[in-house]
Amino acid sequence: MNALLREARFLLGLKSAVAAMVALFALTAVAVSAGLVEVARQEAAIARIGPQQASDVAAVTDWVSQGKDPGNAAYYTFHATSDPPSDLAFAAIGTRDVSPYVLRVRALGLEAQLYEGEIGNPEAALPGRFDFAFVLVYLAPLFVILLFHDLRSGEREAGRLRALEASVGAPSALWGARLTVRALGLFLALALPFFVGAFVAGTALWKVGAVLAVVLAYLAFWIVLCMVVARAARSSLANAMTLAAAWMTLTLIVPAIGHVAINSAIPLRQGMELGQTQRTAVHRAWDIPKSESMDAFFRTHPQWRNTAPLGEAFHWKWYFAFHQVGDELAGDLSRQYRQGVLERAAWSERLGLVTPGVATQLALHRLAATDPAAQIAYQDRIRAFHGELRRFYYPYLFEDRPFGRADFARAPEYRAAPAAGSWPVALLGGVVLMTALVGGIGFVRGRRVAS
Amino acid sequence: MSVILSVTRNELRHLVRSRVALTGLILVALLTFAAALTSNAYQADQAGLRERLQHAADQDFAAQPNRHPHRVVHFGHFAIRPASGLAAMDPGVEAYTGNMIFLEGHRQNSANFGDARQSSLLVRFGQLSPALVLQVIVPLLLVFIGAGMIAGERERGTLRQSLLAGISGGALLSGKALALGLAALAISTPAFGLLLWLGASGGARLSAVGLTTLGYVAYLAFWTLLIIAVSATANRSRSALIGLVGAWAFMVVLVPRVAPEAAAALAPLPTRVETDIAVQRDLRSMGDSHNPNDPYFAAFKQKTLKQYGVTRVEDLPVNYRGLLAIEGEKLTSSLFDRYADQAFGAMEAQGRVMDALAVVSPTVAIRRVSMTLAETDLFAYRRFLEQAEAYRYDLVQRLNRLQATAVTAADDAAKSKNAAAEARSRISADHWQAMPHFDPKRPSAADVVGRAVPALVALLLWLAAGAVFAARAGHRLNRSAA
Repeated sequence: MNALLREARFLLGLKSAVAAMVALFALTAVAVSAGLVEVARQEAAIARIGPQQASDVAAVTDWVSQGKDPGNAAYYTFHATSDPPSDLAFAAIGTRDVSPYVLRVRALGLEAQLYEGEIGNPEAALPGRFDFAFVLVYLAPLFVILLFHDLRSGEREAGRLRALEASVGAPSALWGARLTVRALGLFLALALPFFVGAFVAGTALWKVGAVLAVVLAYLAFWIVLCMVVARAARSSLANAMTLAAAWMTLTLIVPAIGHVAINSAIPLRQGMELGQTQRTAVHRAWDIPKSESMDAFFRTHPQWRNTAPLGEAFHWKWYFAFHQVGDELAGDLSRQYRQGVLERAAWSERLGLVTPGVATQLALHRLAATDPAAQIAYQDRIRAFHGELRRFYYPYLFEDRPFGRADFARAPEYRAAPAAGSWPVALLGGVVLMTALVGGIGFVRGRRVAS
Repeated sequence: MSVILSVTRNELRHLVRSRVALTGLILVALLTFAAALTSNAYQADQAGLRERLQHAADQDFAAQPNRHPHRVVHFGHFAIRPASGLAAMDPGVEAYTGNMIFLEGHRQNSANFGDARQSSLLVRFGQLSPALVLQVIVPLLLVFIGAGMIAGERERGTLRQSLLAGISGGALLSGKALALGLAALAISTPAFGLLLWLGASGGARLSAVGLTTLGYVAYLAFWTLLIIAVSATANRSRSALIGLVGAWAFMVVLVPRVAPEAAAALAPLPTRVETDIAVQRDLRSMGDSHNPNDPYFAAFKQKTLKQYGVTRVEDLPVNYRGLLAIEGEKLTSSLFDRYADQAFGAMEAQGRVMDALAVVSPTVAIRRVSMTLAETDLFAYRRFLEQAEAYRYDLVQRLNRLQATAVTAADDAAKSKNAAAEARSRISADHWQAMPHFDPKRPSAADVVGRAVPALVALLLWLAAGAVFAARAGHRLNRSAA
């Protein structure tokens, strides 16, 4: 304990070390605030849309309830869905800035509505967000390198090493204390601003714990790497260069190459083809006998088979039926597309198992439910809601029931549920495993040098 | 001069002998090569795919059977963003923009299926492209190699020897800078080779190739001078290295990331849903074509009747529904334009805020130069969206005019109740085949160059600042020897 206090005092006396920790603290604080601001902006947008959407529906209601045609109601009424940010989204904004978190759908073909983009500035999205995840994954390792690359070699170069080791009972206790104090300093610089952010955002305790575990594991990896490099007993300059090169490789080069490799191994062309297929399938209905579309529809919806047959005149039920058939025809492409997005994400996790930076990034986004999987989950919820909408409108359309003012109030409402996030067990395991591996290699090599 | 060259020669010999430095140089050169190769292959693949899809869309459109023109308005068309000439060098915002828009009547859809939305989170680490390597990775490698070039000699005591032997500080500094600069050029060769190849193969304009090369050479020269000057000023290699890595992290990693946060706070963007709702609301207040007593459309009717010199809609020589469709599309389209202009106005305001940070980071400037010249910036995206919208409007209005002139009012009115009238309301498929194809025009070379100039000037100012810093460091070396 005394050793720790002594080292803490020593560390606080080092201007450069204090400056580094203050800088990391300040960067984390800025990142956490930027994340909170962004989350507040998204929540405000969702809240703002509520009344606007209500007045839009009210205007449609006024017009449709005059004629009470259920087809007009189903065609002209948009239903809002939203994907509110989770209680940890402030720490890892993830894909929330390139994909919509609010989307309105109608009971028409879903495949033409589900992939709508959001109004966003692509030049602002390009460099990536400045959030807690960024500070942790990219910047924190640089600070670890700064504080740890010359832990021993610095003393040796200053000519103090022997005297220092002789002045304490056990050199390992000295280095243990020095290491612990520095690690604790960096950890606090990251954790304190995060705690404040988590408190403001009301983050669930288990997620706070999980984030801290991720932070610890990632810091531990870099500290162990620094120790291993330092054991090679070279100059501080050589240590710093080797570590910075490792940082560049692990956080810039490997992920960039991984991205290229994954995207070319799993090409996603289905997206654009999907759009064209669905459109052509839907519009073909105007040129083929109506009974053909209706038969295809009845195959998946036999409950409406025995309703009144279509006459010569236009009937909305035919219109909605062929939209449904269009969705069903595009179903395979749609499933392939969804699968492809998830598969790309799965491969990035596999890369994460051997690249701690990637694992940390993915783990935080998993916890915050801001990864591609969360995006797909939102699409799945929209899909389910769209199914509800269809089931709501179809009885009116097929049984020719008038659609009055009161019926608008009966329409299903989308229940927004913030995604839960889940424990990134495998990813965390990957970081720990890589740390153990690097430590093990260092230990073996160290013994070889010593013997 | 010969002194400078002999310093350069010595330094290069030293670089080649040092295993670490040589390995770093070779690895980054290989990375540049791999980036050029994969980026070029990816862009070629994308260009082929998009051309194929656009062709398929054109064929689908032309292959429609006889139809009522309004059916065709809803059948719609697809506009696919063609790949740009230098995208292989710098894909810019390509991954963050949608590439395909569905064009239909009454609606303005978004461009969908952008890469960022369908990629894993790895895309956020940056895409491997020659631009990424030159902007981000090469400067860091130069820092590693160059931080100790002069500071290391000072530590070993050889610096004093050289200066006492009569080599001036300026010559020493120039010689070392030349060596580091040559190393920078050597590892960037694959990227410059790609630029030349893109220029020669006709995909890119020579002005863009030339200025992009100039921009990157200036950017790398700035880093070279900065590194040498810091190395000459620092007492120890380690403090030079730490200072330079800090400068790199600030200018290359931090500033470009903080910029969007600042910009988003200053010029917030509306969501798409809000814009959709606003368009609908404005439309209702302008005029409701469903309502027979609506003042706007009543006035339109009076104007039309007067124009044709008749008193009843039935006496018009054209189909009034078609005229209504033309007028309705005019209204909605003017709203789409207004809201799109607002959104892009806000984005460009954000862009100006982000560009202003070139004052503290040359990386911001080179990004702008590179993206603008590669035509992979926001402006190029906006141009695509606007041309797609113009094409959509033209196509829909051509079809609406066909409804007014080629479909009789009687058939149009009876088509949803009477099969024979419905059949007569279908017009010949020849009309679809005669429609123009989507053929987006590239901005003129002068336009592109003009927009790259401010950032290019900023970059040259950074280079000048680097030169001044280096010159002063050289003078100080002379003084320290005296």
